Amino acid sequence: MSLHLTKGLFTAPAKHGIMRGMQDERGLIVEARSLDGDCRLLKIAVPQIAAQAKPGNFVMVRVSPSLDPILRRPFGILQSEPPHIWLYFQVRGRGTQLLGSLRAADSLDILGPLGNAFPELAGKKILLIAGGRGIVPLFHYAKAYAAQRQLLLLYGGRSAAELHLLEEIKAMPFEKTVIFSEDGSIGKKGLLTAGLEKLIAEQRPQATLSCGPEAMLARLVRMLKPGKTENYASLEALMGCGFGVCHSCVVLAADGSYRKVCDEGPVFPLEGIQWPN
Amino acid sequence: MAELSADLGFCTLKNPVIPASGTFGYGEEFLPFFDLDLLGALILKGIFRKPRSGNPPPRLAETPAGVLNSIGLAGPGSEKLQEIIRRLHAKTRTPIIVNVCGEDDREFEEVAEIFSAMAEVAMLELNISCPNIKKGGACPAQDAGHTSRLVRRVKKVVRKPLIVKLSPNTADIVGVARAAEGAGADAISLVNTFLGLAVDLEKRKPVFANTLAGLSGPAIKPLALKLVWEVCRQVRIPVIGMGGITSGRDVLDYILVGAAAVQIGTVNFCEPGAAVRIIGEIEAEMDKLQIKNLSEIRGKLQA
Repeated sequence: MSLHLTKGLFTAPAKHGIMRGMQDERGLIVEARSLDGDCRLLKIAVPQIAAQAKPGNFVMVRVSPSLDPILRRPFGILQSEPPHIWLYFQVRGRGTQLLGSLRAADSLDILGPLGNAFPELAGKKILLIAGGRGIVPLFHYAKAYAAQRQLLLLYGGRSAAELHLLEEIKAMPFEKTVIFSEDGSIGKKGLLTAGLEKLIAEQRPQATLSCGPEAMLARLVRMLKPGKTENYASLEALMGCGFGVCHSCVVLAADGSYRKVCDEGPVFPLEGIQWPN
Repeated sequence: MAELSADLGFCTLKNPVIPASGTFGYGEEFLPFFDLDLLGALILKGIFRKPRSGNPPPRLAETPAGVLNSIGLAGPGSEKLQEIIRRLHAKTRTPIIVNVCGEDDREFEEVAEIFSAMAEVAMLELNISCPNIKKGGACPAQDAGHTSRLVRRVKKVVRKPLIVKLSPNTADIVGVARAAEGAGADAISLVNTFLGLAVDLEKRKPVFANTLAGLSGPAIKPLALKLVWEVCRQVRIPVIGMGGITSGRDVLDYILVGAAAVQIGTVNFCEPGAAVRIIGEIEAEMDKLQIKNLSEIRGKLQA
């Protein structure tokens, strides 16, 4: 399926979006790759967004020019090298099906960059903990800072078929990389949290940045010793608008208040969120 | 060039496009996308006396060409909103409309009085139709008697034009509209969201904690248009129509059935620049159809 440019509808004129960096920009798909495990990698030319994207930012993507589905979908930015950004996702529902069916030379509307960013944590030794597609914002962080920080990576997924970007990760100057798969088809067998304590004891990171399934983050908050490491997590949420207007994407914070993942996050102190038991 | 001004009787807007409450934040969020002065007016997210945290998530479920929401009017409370309005007013000359909410009649009155006293506020919209506050979606706008009492009470304390926002979730919306008019409403806006239900088949439970939620978006346009048409024929005060508008043609459809102006809602979520695009499309469409001004077609549906 190709996206045809519906006249006017879903196109913000170029003069829009001049403040705060946020833009509603027409993106052009430069490369669309299908990966194992029904995953996709899209390279998209969006010069304005790419120029401003920071590790941890996300974009809202209009997956179809029609009114159905009407909402955009949030996607983390895997990498940003102006004028391009990369999106990496698994086809799961209708939105990702539509986006995953796009090809090079198709165009689509992208709003971004959105959300806060990971703290820079200059001078610290940092452990990145990525569950599945949770690699996305951490990959961006590593790309931006691997040369100037001591970075460790703990990366896990269901199987080899669902763990991608390993070549690119290998090429980055991580101090140590530990891979887990639930079925043992690659790396160590089990959930990545099985490797956490050993890695922390050996490497003594001062901070952790994590992203992945809710169950993984909930386990991390119980395993990471408060005070030992400074811990941040990037959260995922169902979003209506992505820029703070609809109040749909709230999470329950530790203080009992609701926080909007889109503009108060998506990066929060790990302990700042109430995780399910 | 078509003339886009919209006559509300008590005032004239430069064009008929007003972003709807709850879909436009507090105005400031849209400054990155366009000059707010381009809008006919703007309506802020609904406000109660005190801060409200809103409903537990999930608060949103997508439907074919629509959205079910159960936000529950999360907001910062009246005091904080006054600060926001002062800041916003310094940035735009577009009329600012405050969407007034209340858990009970007394709160509606209190909140209306607070914002009626603000010079920066042009009008008030009385939100007697939010389906996400009480269990089962109950709201004052489901009952003509309650609507009449509440509007009368609020009218006594406000010195600003009062728009009363109606619910489609009532057997007799015309009766409720007439009750609002009889109680002194200066205008009526409709419709708020339609009550809907989403279920989680695996868990055998409703998706939303409040069970029911409000449906908006293009999916509701024919239903909303019908109700606006029915109400326009039965009241003399101006009607502001809304429901599923995404284009200039949609706006003209509402004017044709009798609306004096329109509100645009859900489209603001998926396309932040929608309001300005739609204003441009209205003008182009009017030129194409050789319509010189909106009053030329307002209420001229031949049915």
